[in-house]
Amino acid sequence: MTMQTQTHDSPAHAATANPGPLLEVRDLKTYFRTEAGISKAVDGVSFEVLPGEILGIVGESGSGKSVACLSVLRLIPDPPGYIAGGEIRYRGEPLLEKSYAQMRAIRGNEIAMIFQEPMTALNPVFTIGMQVMETLRRHQRLSRRAARERAVEMLDAVKIPDARKRMKDYPHQFSGGMLQRVMIAIALCCNPRLLIADEPTTALDVTTQSQILDLMLELKARRDDASILLVTHDLGVVAETCDRVVVMYGGKVQEVGSATRIFGQPRHPYTHGLLASLPSRHRKGDGPLYTIPGNVPSALDMPTGCKFCTRCDRVFDRCRLEEPPLHRLPDGSAVRCHLLEEEAR
Amino acid sequence: MGAYFIRRFLLIIPTFIGVTMIAFFITRMVPGGPLDRAIMQFRMGAAMEGGADIAGAGGGQIPEAALQELKRAFDLDKPWYAAYALWLGKLARLDLGNSYQYREPVAGLVADRLPVSMYFGLLGFTLAYLICIPLGIVKALKHGSRFDFVSSAIVFVGYSIPGWAMGALLLVLFAGGQFYAWFPLGGFRSSAYDDLPAMVRQWEDIDQVSDEFGTFQWDQMSLRSRVIDQVHHTVLPVFCYMLGSFASLTVLMKNSLMENLGKDFVRTAFAKGLSPRRVVYLHTLRNSLIPIATGLGHALGVLMAGSYLIEYVFNIDGIGYLGYTAIVGRDYTVVMGILSINILLLLVGNIFSDMLYAMIDPRIRFE
Repeated sequence: MTMQTQTHDSPAHAATANPGPLLEVRDLKTYFRTEAGISKAVDGVSFEVLPGEILGIVGESGSGKSVACLSVLRLIPDPPGYIAGGEIRYRGEPLLEKSYAQMRAIRGNEIAMIFQEPMTALNPVFTIGMQVMETLRRHQRLSRRAARERAVEMLDAVKIPDARKRMKDYPHQFSGGMLQRVMIAIALCCNPRLLIADEPTTALDVTTQSQILDLMLELKARRDDASILLVTHDLGVVAETCDRVVVMYGGKVQEVGSATRIFGQPRHPYTHGLLASLPSRHRKGDGPLYTIPGNVPSALDMPTGCKFCTRCDRVFDRCRLEEPPLHRLPDGSAVRCHLLEEEAR
Repeated sequence: MGAYFIRRFLLIIPTFIGVTMIAFFITRMVPGGPLDRAIMQFRMGAAMEGGADIAGAGGGQIPEAALQELKRAFDLDKPWYAAYALWLGKLARLDLGNSYQYREPVAGLVADRLPVSMYFGLLGFTLAYLICIPLGIVKALKHGSRFDFVSSAIVFVGYSIPGWAMGALLLVLFAGGQFYAWFPLGGFRSSAYDDLPAMVRQWEDIDQVSDEFGTFQWDQMSLRSRVIDQVHHTVLPVFCYMLGSFASLTVLMKNSLMENLGKDFVRTAFAKGLSPRRVVYLHTLRNSLIPIATGLGHALGVLMAGSYLIEYVFNIDGIGYLGYTAIVGRDYTVVMGILSINILLLLVGNIFSDMLYAMIDPRIRFE
């Protein structure tokens, strides 16, 4: 069952030069071989990133969102992981059929990625300057001097004070927030069309989080047709930044829609739960914060029916037996829940 | 950082004194010291000369005056700490004293044998690094493969056999002639024309390499012959020298690389579009070599690396052999001399290691 969202809910500022989606993921299946069997971390996920939009992927830890993103760049460590099926198209071209060398020309150049832990994402024994210049020189024919100038420009752009001097510094001499800025500088130095940000603010403290988000939005504003795929479990971040949202649970897409619709009228009980557990939404203030009962089941023993049936507060018999299809809504969004049929009756 | 290392160097002094003091104390406590040996020799000499000698009719009894004289010669007439202070005072003037057995200055004895031990030490050390680092890298990249498994098995079997035991086994197998006689039974070099490998004897004329007294002159041979003869004597002992460090170094390299391959910065490097070659050999290896490179500081110790037992098994007259005979012969000035040099090299080597560490890893700063 694949998702069939239509593109008419694309944001108004999306560039029209390239009408198709920038990234199209269809029925992606990424599995891991474990001693206990095959773990289906991502099991038939479809979504698309339109030119110029910021797409958020939300879900709890273990919902498969990071694995889905790493699969796009084919960065899943194999063994134990492998892409078992599906299709990933970037500007219409199938990425899973690219040669390794072609893939390398795309990574860091067309599609760049930043990660959750800036403190460990950079190599501790090389200078910041070297690590920025390395990417530039890998993808662009630049002299050492030109690469250095460009690297300083980039570090300036991500607001690292005294950028020229700090080129010679090593990662341990920077704070977490500053390192994430460096990561953004590395990611954006080759002007990628797509930036995949995998929980870019999770490891940072709250004030730094908003600085990093603002920086990403500011840099995004400079290039209209560039898109961001923002993976996060923080709905607050999504509300601030994203045009559209994909909600994932149990390796599957549970709900897709514009940010306004998802936050205004969540249709899936899981999305409901996520929103209810947001502190700012808990209007009464006194009682304990809402939590979705239970834990995300391990990818090794997912329920046969709806993946969320073990924790859903509106579960009924059919949910446990049969996995609901992704119901398409008139506004182009989609929800994977039996309740939609029940309500339609 | 300079202040830190100056402090470290100054700390060598008390450590050195502590270690040598304990060793000196032990030499005083253990029975069968130099005095006992001197008395024994005296008696044997007396017995051989049939009793008619300077000892008089005492039947091998040493006169009290001579005994006192001997005691004074070995500083045994003083309490151990006073004798130790004397020894330390001489050491401060770079005087290691005289050997009881050889009746020569210890410094000279050590200096004569230093090239032999350095040769084996440096060679074993270099070969171990040259083989273990690539081997560890390949094992890490092919983790879990048949090659990884088989090489691990071999390396660990080697690790569990002491070098000298392996030496004895190799001599029986490849040198004794009982199975094969590919290598000589021992020695640093051939000491007689007949010891030379057969192929060298084909082109080296006995008259050319012997002096007028018929003594074999190794240095007179052609370069080619000298190299072949040297290698011929080197293979087995060097193998034994490497055996112990082989496993630890290989496994250290492998584990270090594996650990780093799983780190986040490796994923970042791949996400940047770098080639696997660059990711592994530049980004990952650079980090993995940190624990390996610090071991290089101990290269200093290699100068005196002579293993007591391996040199004994292969009959190589190096520092190790000197040390072994000194211990067996209760030649305590030699024992203390070798010990002092070894301790000093070890302590300085440790500091060198830390300096290397600070140089290689930008995160390390000693304050």
